[in-house]
Amino acid sequence: MRNILRFSAAIAGLSFLVTAAAGDDPLEDAIKARQGYMQVVKFNAAPLFGMAKGKIEYDAEAAKTYANNLQAAAMMKNGAMWPEGTDNVSYAGKTRTLPEAWTTYPKVAEANQVWIDATGELARVAGDGLDALRSKIGAVGEGCKGCHDDFRAEDF
Amino acid sequence: MRADQTGDYRREKIWDPVIRLWHWLLVVSVSTGWLLGQFRDFATVEWHIYLGYCTGILVLIRLMWGIFGPVPVRLRTLLPSPSQIMEYTRHFGNRKPSGSPGHNPFGGLSVVIMLVLLAVQVCTGLFSEDDALFASGPLAGWISTGGVLRATAIHHVVATLLLVFVGMHVAAVLYYLLWKRENLIVPMITGWKWIRVIQRDP
Ligand code: HEC
Ligand code: HEM
Repeated sequence: MRNILRFSAAIAGLSFLVTAAAGDDPLEDAIKARQGYMQVVKFNAAPLFGMAKGKIEYDAEAAKTYANNLQAAAMMKNGAMWPEGTDNVSYAGKTRTLPEAWTTYPKVAEANQVWIDATGELARVAGDGLDALRSKIGAVGEGCKGCHDDFRAEDF
Repeated sequence: MRADQTGDYRREKIWDPVIRLWHWLLVVSVSTGWLLGQFRDFATVEWHIYLGYCTGILVLIRLMWGIFGPVPVRLRTLLPSPSQIMEYTRHFGNRKPSGSPGHNPFGGLSVVIMLVLLAVQVCTGLFSEDDALFASGPLAGWISTGGVLRATAIHHVVATLLLVFVGMHVAAVLYYLLWKRENLIVPMITGWKWIRVIQRDP
């Protein structure tokens, strides 16, 4: 019993030390998470834009998969990645999210809804040929742009 | 017959055909290019880039013409000395045509500033990127992400500066037309302009 207590205390102390040494800041983790999330979005969107522009050959299966991924990403419940106090004033150099994302709430949620709708429409038709893909892809791009113009700074 | 001289002013051909054609081509390529950039969408953004290239070529032609072209369009003529500017400021408000044989000192200065801004705009455009989605400049893949962000940010700031300087350019032309009663637009079409020949206090 004594040993178990000692062992637990040691583990607790150790994990505290490790976290402290790593300087773990849960808010910074959230920033990293959303930036990674946006990169995932980008890597699924880019091949679709490439196909629509004729830079990559259209492939119905791939297009459908990417579009489904994009829709899933858009619908992801990800509020935890945007905790209050993580705007680019408080975390200068780390994030590009403008304070407006919080101060003008729920505008950012409305922008997100526009994007969810656009990705949904795209996912429905992306596998039905290049023309179908082209007819819906513009709105998805507008969705990214609409949000970035209002809630993202140009530079870190 | 039209009199070629009235009072202190004489009609002279000051703008050569190259610079006249160049000027109006630039108006078209910069204004449509600017609008296609500002209001870009997926279907038309490539045209923003093509018009940007046209503008870049026009800027290069202008630099060549500023070295080898006729005197009124030479870069050396365009850059005014401080004393020329001071002198010109004194009668800027007079309700009288300037009769300048080319650009007046402010006009020349504004041309140089606009050319520099356009050159910066084309160069940063080559490295700009809209998250690789709407469009990206052909060289954006060659530099770091931070560099791309910076180039794109400069591209946006200079786009606004161009709007300001083009606006000032047009406002100045209107000021000359309405207040100083000097039409600067027609000479840029026909080449002929009324030049002051007798130097009295203007
Ligand atoms: C609901 C708003 C919103 C939508 C919609 C949106 N973004 Fe973003 N995006 C942001 C914000 C805010 C940031 C800044 C993240 C940060 O630095 O904190 C960002 C950052 C990014 C980044 C940079 C990530 C990094 O590594 O710093 C990329 C790339 C990106 N978005 C791509 C996209 C693409 C592609 C789409 C559309 C398919 C899209 N985004 C749609 C809000 C949005
Ligand atoms: C003088 C010529 C040019 C002018 C006046 C111009 C103007 C503009 C304007 C007004 C925007 C929109 C900025 C905004 O959204 O706030 C823009 C964006 C853009 N331009 Fe240009 N541009 C020029 C040349 C070029 C060239 C030559 C290229 C590429 C080779 C280019 C590539 C881009 C790209 C990729 C964007 C989108 C970047 C973004 O906004 O995220 N531009 N430009």
